Amino acid sequence: MKLWQYIIRRLVILIPTIIGLTFIVFVLSHSGGTNLVLAEYLNPHLPASARQAEIQKLIQEFHLNQPVYIQYFYWLAAVLQGDLGYTNTPIYSGPVTHAIELFMPNTIMLSVLASIMVWLIGIPLGVWSAVRRDGVLDQSTRVGALTLYSMPVYLVAFSLVIIFGVYLRVLPFSGTANLLLVQNVSWYQGGISYPTHILIIDALLHGNYIVALSALEHLILPALSLALGSLAAFIRLLRSQMLDVLGQDFIRFVYSKGVPEKDIITIHARRNAIIVPLTNFVYLVAGLLGGVVVIESIFNIPGIGYWTTQALLNNDVGGIMGSTLIFGITLVIASLIIDILYALIDPRIRY
Amino acid sequence: MSELLTVRDLRLEFYTRRGMYKVLNGVNLSLRKGEVLGLAGESGSGKSTLGLTIMGLVADNAKIVGGDVIFAEHGNLITNAVWPDGKYVAKRGRKIIKRLNSQLLHIRGKEMTMVFQDSMTSLNPLLKIGYQIGEVIYYHNPRLLAERALARNRATREDMREVVMLLKTREERDLTRFLNEKGLGGLYEQINSIWQRPGMSEVKKERAILSLAGQRLSGFEKSVLEAVRDNKPVTNVPLYRGYRKRLLIREGVRKAVELLSDLSVPHPEKVVDMYPHELSGGMRQRVVIAIALANNPKLVIMDEPTSALDVTIQAQVLELVKRLKSKGSSIVFISHDLSVLAEVSDRIAIMYAGSIVELGETYDIVNEPKHPYTVALLGAVPTLTEKEIRGIEGEIPDLKNLPSGCAFHPRCPYVMDVCKKLKPDLITLGGKRQVACFLFGDSK
Amino acid sequence: METKRESELRLSFKVLFRNKSALVGTVLVLLYFIDAFVMQVYPKLFGITNPNSLVENFASPLPLPPSVLHPLGTTAYGIDLWSSILKAIRFDLAYTLAVVLSGAVIGVILGVISGFVGGALDEFLMRITDIVFSIPYLVLALAVGFVIGRTYTSMIFALALVWWPIYARYGRALTLSIKTLPYVDSARLYGMNGLKILFKHVVPNVLPPVFVQVSVDLGVIMPIFSTLSFIGFIPNANLPELGYLTTLGLNYLQSAPWAVIFPGAIITLFSLAANLMGEGLRDVFDPRRRSE
Repeated sequence: MKLWQYIIRRLVILIPTIIGLTFIVFVLSHSGGTNLVLAEYLNPHLPASARQAEIQKLIQEFHLNQPVYIQYFYWLAAVLQGDLGYTNTPIYSGPVTHAIELFMPNTIMLSVLASIMVWLIGIPLGVWSAVRRDGVLDQSTRVGALTLYSMPVYLVAFSLVIIFGVYLRVLPFSGTANLLLVQNVSWYQGGISYPTHILIIDALLHGNYIVALSALEHLILPALSLALGSLAAFIRLLRSQMLDVLGQDFIRFVYSKGVPEKDIITIHARRNAIIVPLTNFVYLVAGLLGGVVVIESIFNIPGIGYWTTQALLNNDVGGIMGSTLIFGITLVIASLIIDILYALIDPRIRY
Repeated sequence: MSELLTVRDLRLEFYTRRGMYKVLNGVNLSLRKGEVLGLAGESGSGKSTLGLTIMGLVADNAKIVGGDVIFAEHGNLITNAVWPDGKYVAKRGRKIIKRLNSQLLHIRGKEMTMVFQDSMTSLNPLLKIGYQIGEVIYYHNPRLLAERALARNRATREDMREVVMLLKTREERDLTRFLNEKGLGGLYEQINSIWQRPGMSEVKKERAILSLAGQRLSGFEKSVLEAVRDNKPVTNVPLYRGYRKRLLIREGVRKAVELLSDLSVPHPEKVVDMYPHELSGGMRQRVVIAIALANNPKLVIMDEPTSALDVTIQAQVLELVKRLKSKGSSIVFISHDLSVLAEVSDRIAIMYAGSIVELGETYDIVNEPKHPYTVALLGAVPTLTEKEIRGIEGEIPDLKNLPSGCAFHPRCPYVMDVCKKLKPDLITLGGKRQVACFLFGDSK
Repeated sequence: METKRESELRLSFKVLFRNKSALVGTVLVLLYFIDAFVMQVYPKLFGITNPNSLVENFASPLPLPPSVLHPLGTTAYGIDLWSSILKAIRFDLAYTLAVVLSGAVIGVILGVISGFVGGALDEFLMRITDIVFSIPYLVLALAVGFVIGRTYTSMIFALALVWWPIYARYGRALTLSIKTLPYVDSARLYGMNGLKILFKHVVPNVLPPVFVQVSVDLGVIMPIFSTLSFIGFIPNANLPELGYLTTLGLNYLQSAPWAVIFPGAIITLFSLAANLMGEGLRDVFDPRRRSE
C-alpha cells in the first residue's frame, strides 16, 4: 500500500492508546476522592462560611458528584477545547497550558540533543564493534557500554559532573545558562527566555553568541548523561544485529561480486542491521523521557520532567494529568515517526 | 596450459563448539576453458564448501589447512590463506579471511563469479534489483559505463540511421568499423542488445536504436563521465564521489535492463525498479545469473542453481547454462541431482566425504561408472525403465570422526583390507578417467 | 534418552564455565545474596549490630574520606559507608527480587494464557501492554505512589506494574512460536487436550528463556529502584537503602564525591554482575549459540 495510507492507519490506532493512557491516570489520580481537586482550586484564605459555598461551586464545576468515568469525559471535553486545568507547584502556578509552553521546549532540546548524540556515537561504534570483532575497539566498547548500562541514571550524571564539573572544571552543571551573562538581557526574564523559550535558539536569534555558547555548554552534561545510559543498549543491539546480518547469505553474495569491504559494511550490512535498533528507538525515547525526570532535577533545568516530579510530590492534580498527556502524546508521536522511518527504509513491510 | 582452474590437494576444517569437522580432505580437480564440469555428491560431501573455497568465500570458523587453487594467470589464489599448523584461533582466522577478501577483490565478480542455490537469500532485500545488478559493473568496469553514456551523448540521429542500415545488411565488421570511426564504440553492446531482443518487431527495434542518439548530459555530468573514461584518479570530496557513483550506477541500471532482457525476463525496465521480494523465484534466479554474467567472467560456479525451482524453470536455467558456455565461460555446476548434471556437463566429478573419488567424461561416468560409490549413486537414480531403486547401505560419514583409510569403506560392497588402512589417491585410467579406489590399482 | 540428557547437561556446564565473565558475574551475584542472608540471620558476623537502621555519629558529622576506621569513608551525619552498604544490600536485593518475581509471575501467566487462547483476549492484552509501554516507568511509578501512598511497598507495586507487560509480551511470543511448531499439531492429532499441551510442551520451553530474562532484570531493576528512592519518592525514610544513601551524600558532591559514588558503584557492580550472569545463562539455553 502507499506510504500515506500506512501512516493514516498508524495514526488511527494510536488514538485509543492515548485515551486509554489518560483514562488510567485519571482514574488513579481521582480515586483518592474529591479532596485533591478541591485542594487544588480552593482558596485557602476563605473564611469557613464562604468555604462551604465555594466547595459546592467547585463540585458543580468539576462534576465531582458524578462517577469517575463521567468526570473523565468532562475532562476530555475540556482538553479538546484547550483547557487543561491549573497547576500549582513550587516552580510554577498557573494554567497547565502555559506551564507546558514554558517547560516543554527545554525538555525537547535536551531530548533531541541526547538522541542525536546516541545516533552519532552509537552507529559508528556499533557497526565497527561488530566488524572488528574481538578487537580492542570491540572489547572496550562492550565493557564500557555494559558498565554504563548497569549504572543508575543519577550515577552517570554525577560521575560526569564530578569528572568534568569538579575536577576538570570544564563544563557547568547547573541551570541553563550562566546567570551573570543573562542578567541584563531584555529577552530573558524570570528564568524564561523569549520567544521560543529555548535559550540557545533565542540567543542565536538575537545574535548574542556569547549567551548561546554558554547555553550550549550548559546543555552538554545533561544531554550526555541522558545519552550515555541509552547508548549502551543501542550499541549492544546494533552490534548483535550487525553480526547477524554479516552472517547472512546475501552478504556472502555481495562478497562474491567483488565489492570492497567498506562498501559492503556501509551500504549493504548497515542498512539491514539498523532496522531493529531503529524500531527500538521508540523504547529509547521512552527511556529518555524517564531519565529526563531525574536529569532535570539534578541539573536544575526547568523542563517537563522537573515539573512532573514537583506535581507528583505535591499532589497537584492538574499538573499530573497535564504531564501524563504530554508524555503520552510525545511517545505516540515518536512511535509514529519511527514507524514511518521503518516503512521508508524497509520496502517489505509496506505490503 | 589450457587449464583454467586447478585445485590441488585442498584441505579445509571447520571449528565449532561441538568439535572440528574435516570438510575438505584433499580435493583434486581441474577445469578447462569453455567446459562445464559437474560436481556431484550427497549433502555433506563438501561440494558447496568446495565451490565457496574456490571463490575464497571461507566461513569465519573455517581454516584452510593445505592445498592450492590456481586460477588462470592469477596463480594460487589462496597462498596466504593457508595455515596448516597452530591451533585454530578465531581472531587469526578472521584476519586471514579479511586479507584474502581484499586480495581477491579484482577477481571476484569479474573473472570468477558464483550463483547460489537460494536466490531469495542471495539478494539484499532493501535494495532495488537495478542497483544490485548495476553495482557489480560499477565496481569492475566503470569505464564501460562512462563510455556508453558518452557515446549516446555524442551520437546523432544520422549516425543511428546509418547503424540501422548496416544492421540490416548484416555486416558486423562494417558496423564495428563505423562505430569506431565515429568514436561511438560504447554503443556497440547497446545496439546489439536491442537488435537481438526476441519478440520485438523490426520497426520497434529501429525506433529504439534511433532513440539511442542524443542523450542529454549536463556539462558537469559530462566532465565526470569523461574523467572516468580517461581513468583519472577520483578526488576525495565526498559529494563528488557520491555524484559520480550515482551517475555510473544509473548507467549500470540501463545495462542491467539489457542483461535481463537477454535472459528473457519480461518487462526488464520495470523489474530493475522492484525489490527482490516482489519477484517470483524464477525471475530472481535470472537476476542472480544476470549479476554473475554481467562482466563476462571466465569462470562461473553454480551451486545447486536448479534445486529450489520447479522443473519448467529448471529447464530454462539449464538453457542459460548452455548459453553461458557458448559465450566462452567455464562453469562448475554443483548438484546432487545426477540427471541434471548428465544433461549439462561435459565432465563429471563425484565427491564423497571431502574428496573427489571419480572424475571423467559425462558419457563414460554415466554408462561405465567405476568407483563403487558412483555405481551405487547411479543405481539410486529413478528412471523410467528400472523398477527397483537401490539405496546405499550405511550413512554418510561423520566429518568429526572420519573412517580410517578410504572414507567409503564402511559402506563399500567391495571393501578390502587395504581400504581400511590407506586412503586411495586419484589414479588416471586411460587418458581422461580418474578414480580413487584400490580396486583399480594404486598410485604406487 | 538418558545419555542424551546427560550429555546435554554436560554441554550446558561446559558452555557456562567457558564464559569467564558470566562466571565472575554469577559469583558476585551470589556474594550479594550471601551478604543479604547474613544480614538477615546473623549480622554480628560482619560486626553489625543494628541491621535495620543507619547509625549516625554526630561527633563528626562531615563526611570523611576512606581510612582504616572507615573503609569506604563516611557520609552526612557521620554515617559509616561500609557498614551502611552492607546493611542496604539486603533491602535493595529484597525489593528487587520482589519486583522482578511478581512481575515475571503475573506477566508470564497472563502472556502464556493470552498467547495460547488467542482471539479477543489476546488483542485486549496487547492493547493494555501497548498502553503501559507508552508510559515512562518513572511517571507511572510516581502516579501509583501518588494514589496508594509512598512507601517502599508501593514502590514495589508500582515497578511490578510497569514491568509485567514485558514478561507478558515475552511469554506470549514464546507461546506463539511453540504453538505453531509441527510437533504441537501432531500432539493434538494424538488427542492431547489443550491443557496437557500447555503444560507438557509450552511451559518447559517458556521457562528457561524467562529464567534468563529474570536474571538480567535483577540487574535492570535495582538501579531503577534506587533511582526512585533517590528522587525522594519516600519522604523521611531512614532505612538503609542504596538510593537513599546517595541522597545523603548529595550536599557534599564537590567536597566528598565518594559519598555519592560508592553507593552507586555498589549498585552498578550488582547490575553488571547480573547482566553478565544473564548473558551466560542465555548462552546455555539458546540452542543456536550453543553450537557456535
